[in-house]
Amino acid sequence: MEGECFNKLPEGCVSTILSFTSPPEACKYSMVCPLFRAAAESDVVWERFLPADYRHILSRLVLPLMFSSRKELFLGLCSPNLIDGGNKSFKLDKWSGKKSYILSARDLSIAWADDPIYWSWRSTPESRFSQVTELKTMSWVEIDGKIRTQMLSPNTKYGVYLIMKISNRAFGLDLIPSEISVEVSNRTQVCNGTAYLSCRDSKKKEMERLFYGNRIEMLKSRVIEGDGRVPCERGDGWMEIELGDFFNGDQGDEEVKMSLREVKGQHLKGGLIIEGIEVRPKCI
Amino acid sequence: MASRKLKLKCLDGVTMEVEETVALEWLTIKQSREDNDDDSEVVIPISITSEILLKVIEYSKKHLETTSNSDHQNADSNLKAWDAEFVNVDVNTLYHLIMAANYLNIPCLLDLTCRRVADMITGKKVEEVRKTFNIISDYTPEEEEEMRQQYPWGFE
Repeated sequence: MEGECFNKLPEGCVSTILSFTSPPEACKYSMVCPLFRAAAESDVVWERFLPADYRHILSRLVLPLMFSSRKELFLGLCSPNLIDGGNKSFKLDKWSGKKSYILSARDLSIAWADDPIYWSWRSTPESRFSQVTELKTMSWVEIDGKIRTQMLSPNTKYGVYLIMKISNRAFGLDLIPSEISVEVSNRTQVCNGTAYLSCRDSKKKEMERLFYGNRIEMLKSRVIEGDGRVPCERGDGWMEIELGDFFNGDQGDEEVKMSLREVKGQHLKGGLIIEGIEVRPKCI
Repeated sequence: MASRKLKLKCLDGVTMEVEETVALEWLTIKQSREDNDDDSEVVIPISITSEILLKVIEYSKKHLETTSNSDHQNADSNLKAWDAEFVNVDVNTLYHLIMAANYLNIPCLLDLTCRRVADMITGKKVEEVRKTFNIISDYTPEEEEEMRQQYPWGFE
């Protein structure tokens, strides 16, 4: 057989081929020839890149998305969109088409958050949600979130991140580490650790050590073992602490519980601002 | 108990006999039999060479066998391995298999062959894809640059 030229393939076949690649590759291989470019625009390709439940996701959007092709829909969903009455934000990863969510502070269970003595709620232009909450003063910090695995992309490793800020007037947040955990229902996967809620300058740390000294050591010993991770910058003006990770298989519908607690310190803390918890695919 | 055979006339003039159970897996043939169901002596012309038709028959026979023996524990993974070997062929044969699967309307063979091409494309530079698959591009360099600008993330 002499060399066959793939230019002669029907456009539908090229679309099928491209649908087995990935979103950025479908765009890149548009450059191969005009046939590939036309095939890459086809709904056949982008329908496969969209999550299987995209119609259900569309029904949950706060603001409707305008689109005239599956490709436009895909690209539209790659920007964050508010869903579920504004309580969550949803986004597709443009490289892989995998889903990620941010649960707003209102969507979490924060102990005593309804009492304005302890937590105050307010709007801020820095937030993607209508409200964030700030810890005023309290000794008991317990922040829980949950999400069902059915909402997530199958066969994907997910990381869980608390999105937060520390205000200038913060105090007591990092005398001892907080306990963090991510648990898939029935304890099939459990991830425990510790985190410090701020990484302030060493001078302040020294001062606190002088004041609290042995008490810190005694309190620390009550906390479970962990690597004492610290918040890092996100690039959207907020910080994040990784609470843990889990692998989402392709079977069943489990509940994932995510939490941060600092309940062993018994000292007052304040100045922690919560934006929410993000659940996003983790690169291996 | 001999099953009925259908006669198919290939592009290269060769007439081949195919068991009806196998041929009815091909939706194009199934449709045409439903439309003209009486005469089994009719020779159906198809736009496929005998060489490729032989491979398509081999594929359909293997899949039919596996479906009917589905109680075998490792049937699924054995079939997957067989499929992988089946499409481990040169680019020309792959091309003809895609055309055949498309023409005869065999969805699982089309998926298998297209996935194979996708696996061969992934990670390659645009120019490498053209070379591997003998593709002539008539984009001008300006058009190429314009596309690169449109989808920069495809090239990161």
